[in-house]
Parts: sequence; C-alpha cells; structure tokens
Amino acid sequence: MKDPYEILGLARTASPDDIRKAYRRLAKKLHPDLNPGNKESEERFKDAALAHELLSDPDKRKRFDAGEIDASGTEKVRQRYYKDYAAEAPGGSPYDNRSGYADFAGSDDLFAELFRQQAQQARRAPGADLRYRLAIDFLDAVNGASKRLTLPDGGTLDVSIPAGIAEGQTLRLRGKGVPSGGEGEAGDALVEISITPHRFYTRLGDDIHLDLPVTLTEAVLGARVKAPTPSGPVMLAVPKGSNTDTVLRLKGKGVARRGGHGDELVTLKVMLPSEANPELEAFLSTWAPGPSYDPRREMQP
Amino acid sequence: MIIAKLDFLYRAGLDQETLDIWIEEEWLVPAGTGTELAFSEADLARVQLIRDLTDGLGVNGEGVGVILHLLDQMHGLRFAMAGLLESARGKDGSRV
Repeated sequence: MKDPYEILGLARTASPDDIRKAYRRLAKKLHPDLNPGNKESEERFKDAALAHELLSDPDKRKRFDAGEIDASGTEKVRQRYYKDYAAEAPGGSPYDNRSGYADFAGSDDLFAELFRQQAQQARRAPGADLRYRLAIDFLDAVNGASKRLTLPDGGTLDVSIPAGIAEGQTLRLRGKGVPSGGEGEAGDALVEISITPHRFYTRLGDDIHLDLPVTLTEAVLGARVKAPTPSGPVMLAVPKGSNTDTVLRLKGKGVARRGGHGDELVTLKVMLPSEANPELEAFLSTWAPGPSYDPRREMQP
Repeated sequence: MIIAKLDFLYRAGLDQETLDIWIEEEWLVPAGTGTELAFSEADLARVQLIRDLTDGLGVNGEGVGVILHLLDQMHGLRFAMAGLLESARGKDGSRV
C-alpha cells in the first residue's frame, strides 16, 4: 500500500480542501465508469479512493500521521462498477443505447453490413438472467420438494427442488428470466438455494449426523429405540454396553447422491434421569466398579 | 435478482422523492410500472455511479444527465465494437 499523500500528490500539510480537490482531479480522470476497459485506471482509482477516504476523515488522518494505522487500515473496496453490468447485459438492458453508431449502418460497404448484423444480433439477443435466493427447510433439501417463489412484481415461480440439493447450489429455470428486448429468447431465472439448519440433524457431505439421547438402562443393557431419520423414524438397535459418543450407522438413511444415499450417523448421548432417584443413589453407593473405570485416565499428568 | 422498491430504496440509501426525480429524469429506468417497480443489481450500481458523479466529482444535476446519456452510448459502441472484432476474427479466432 502506497503512501496516501503520495497517491494524491499532496504535502503532509495539505488542507482538507486541498485533499478534496486533489481527489476530484484524479477521480475525474480515473473513475472506472468513465474508463470502462481500462484496468490500470481502475486500480489507480481504487488507490485514490482509499487515500481520500483515509485523509478526508480528520480522526483517521491524525492516527495515520501518528503512525497508529497504516494506509490500508480503511479497506472498504467496492466490488463492481456500473460498467460491469452494462457490459454484461447489452440488448436486455433498458439503458442500452445504439444511437452512437446508427449512421454507420446506413451506407453500403462491408462495415455497414457488419453493423447491420450487429443490430440484428442485438434484436435477437436473449433477455437477461434474473437471480433469486430461496431459503428452504433442511428436510426439503434432503427429500426434495416443490416450492413457489413470489416475485417482487407479484408473479410466481414454481421451483422443483431435487432431493439432496446442497447449500449454495443454483437452479436454472430456462426462459423464466427477463424477456428479450427484441426477438430473442427470454433469459433464465437462477435460484440460489440456502438451507435453514435443522433442530437436531446436521449434514456433512452426504451423511447426516444426529445426537440421540438414550437412558442409562438402554445404554447398559442394550435396547431397540426409535431414531428419527429424514425419511421417517426407524428402530435402531442400541448394543449392550453402549456409551456416550458411541456412533451407530444407519446405512442409506442419509442424503441422496449419485447412485444411492449417504448414511445417517447416530451419536448416542447417555442421559441420567433429570430428577433425583433414591434407588439409583442407593445402588451406586454400594457399587464398586473396579480400578479400570477411570474416565479421566488420559488427563493424568 | 429482482429488487422490490422498498428494498431498493434501503439498499441504495435513497428516499422516495429523490427516486421519483431520478426516474422522471430517466437516470434510472426500472422494470414494471406504478407501485410495482422492479429494480436490478445494475440499477443499484447505477445509483452508486450517480453518487460518485455528484458527491465525488462535483458534477451538478444537469451534468449527470449528459454524462449518463453519453455513457449509455459508449456502452452501446463498446458492444458494437466487441461484436465487430469478433466477426472480423472469425469463429476459430483467426482473421478473415
């Protein structure tokens, strides 16, 4: 990061007015929207904007002069300029203006022909794509679902969500975007999916993880317990002598993937009764488990 | 992504009155009509550009309209130029 005074061509004693003027002089030359296609001016404008932001704030300027923050301490970079959008959707954009070369197409040579082709191409250009974001439930993402999006203009859009869709995946709905300004095809609607977390399932890749509370009796003696899965509850055999953090695998109960399903991994959590239990207390006071039962063994120095 | 009017006003930091003037001046041309205006990310970026022109560069209201009009023409020309270059190079990238 260069020195902000140097970037703006100023002495350290410059007044706020000098700073504003110096920045304006540079910005008029360098603003990316006034120089589309010129990467270098975009970089230089970014530097100038950062330098201006730093020096135009008296507090930040004082701290920079005192050496408390460096020149990059103010990074708030703008990601995209208007020119990026203008270049992206010619034809589909209401701002598209071709009057600047309309006269070129009037004559009768090779270039005029090329310009006429251009104009025709523009008429046939497809409309712009529209982007939406759709939040769906965890279970809808796993099992698949059909959702209806209400659009800002009051219309609706039916989205069919395939089973096993992942966070951030984008669905393309052909022809549901902006209609072409001319005779081209309509653009597409791009729907980005976000998945709201579930109360007790979490998903890692194609597998679903679940913490399942079991009673002391079920863990020690073994039992068949009901375990929820996204496709409905199943009976799960808890083996005799299970413990907290014992992991049991329910094959094929995970998320759909190419050629099958992931698994559901059930982590057992042994829960003691929440109320005091005199019989349990009486039993434990007479119970001697033996010297090998030391759960804190690994923490010994 | 279509942006509804209220959302747009909030994200652009604009008030209703200013928006009405800008639309009247055709600085912004949202899709839809009346209360059902629909804006785009490009419109948001255009608001930022207008701000840069007025606040950053000290351009006055009359100047903004002129600049936007010329910019729109320049983008039309850039698009035409890009298309011309493409046809001149031919499909396989070699020159005709």
